[in-house]
Amino acid sequence: MATAQVPGDRLAQVRIHLKTRSPDIELPQDTGPILVSTELKRYQLSTLVNRLLDTEKPIPLEFLVNGQFLRTSIDEFLTQNGISAETTLSVEYVKALIPPLYVASY
Amino acid sequence: DTHLDIQDDADTMSIEEARRSWSDHEASTRNLALVLTEHLRLILQPTQATKMRGDFRTGKRLNIKRIIPYIASSYKRDKIWMRRSVPSKRAYQIMLAIDDSKSMAESESRDLAFETLALVAKSMSMLEVGELSVVRFGGDVSVAHDFSTPFTSDAGADVFRQFTFAQSKTDVRKLLAESIELFRAARLKAAGSASDLWQLQLIISDGVCEDHPTIRQLVRTAHEERIMVVFIVVDATAQKAEAAGGPRQSILDLQTAKFVKDAAGESQLSIVKYLDTFPFRYYLIVRDVQELPGVLAGALRQWFAEVVESGG
Ligand SMILES: [Mg+2]
Repeated sequence: MATAQVPGDRLAQVRIHLKTRSPDIELPQDTGPILVSTELKRYQLSTLVNRLLDTEKPIPLEFLVNGQFLRTSIDEFLTQNGISAETTLSVEYVKALIPPLYVASY
Repeated sequence: DTHLDIQDDADTMSIEEARRSWSDHEASTRNLALVLTEHLRLILQPTQATKMRGDFRTGKRLNIKRIIPYIASSYKRDKIWMRRSVPSKRAYQIMLAIDDSKSMAESESRDLAFETLALVAKSMSMLEVGELSVVRFGGDVSVAHDFSTPFTSDAGADVFRQFTFAQSKTDVRKLLAESIELFRAARLKAAGSASDLWQLQLIISDGVCEDHPTIRQLVRTAHEERIMVVFIVVDATAQKAEAAGGPRQSILDLQTAKFVKDAAGESQLSIVKYLDTFPFRYYLIVRDVQELPGVLAGALRQWFAEVVESGG
């Protein structure tokens, strides 16, 4: 890893607290806060939750912060919404909707 | 008054508030300060083992190394005696570095941090062994109280006023780099022999910091310059949040999730306990200020034992 570079904002991290309203994809009770790079986007967060759920087949997930879907990196989201990386972010996850085409061809 | 969105200067206490806050914290930690003082008195006392040394014309024991030159000089170089030297009183410079970042306000660790400050400051002044400074850090580092000014009650109130717990970053790298400079400057200014000066930094923070490898390197540099760094992790919310049935909040439960490229260039997710990579060799986790005298004394005792052993 490039630790020799001048350390800067790119190393920013934020604590997240993951939660969901769907009982079938709830994390184990004892999952505490998780520190992640603010560079993460939906895909990496999805990988993370799937790992924590220990799923056999990955379940595609979407993420909501303050009721808004995360469409950018966490960093961009924080900047756009004026949120400091010092606060623990409450992140809700939901199953990604199955594309309609897939349903039709079933 | 624990708003989350405080402007940098909107939340500074009035001087009356600060005085009241200081005397409250001083009063609530008074008995603990006595306990800590007694612990520290035992630890910080100079080792009494006196050594024979010197080149004197009269003394208690001959210095064997001086005999041949003495004869060779036709008995002119006659400082051939050793005397028992009086142990010099060690002097201490203790820096309290307190995390002024926003996460401290969020985690309600500010009270615990203030209690810790009042406790340590009180004990140090009772001991009368050295100088105390207070530094606040977040995105920036600034000296809230310097080594050369005596730490009075007014100084305590003045220090309290400077904290806002609103800084939007927690840059521990910067803290360490600048503290090392401050300690170097303080060592140069210190009266007496520099070898009898012991420097100690106590960092009081919620413990969440980035770039552990660089921090580890800086801690090593400090250690090489005989600056001991003890990280006191204030873990104030843990019990409260869990008792209320809320999510786990403790630093003990915190995990780090990282995507690292493997040999094939594939991004792999690794999840490790945050404290497993924590870069400080001496750290304590304190949930209640009552625990502090005991654990702090334990860490200091360990440090002194190591320094004495290494002949430092
Ligand atoms: Mg912080």
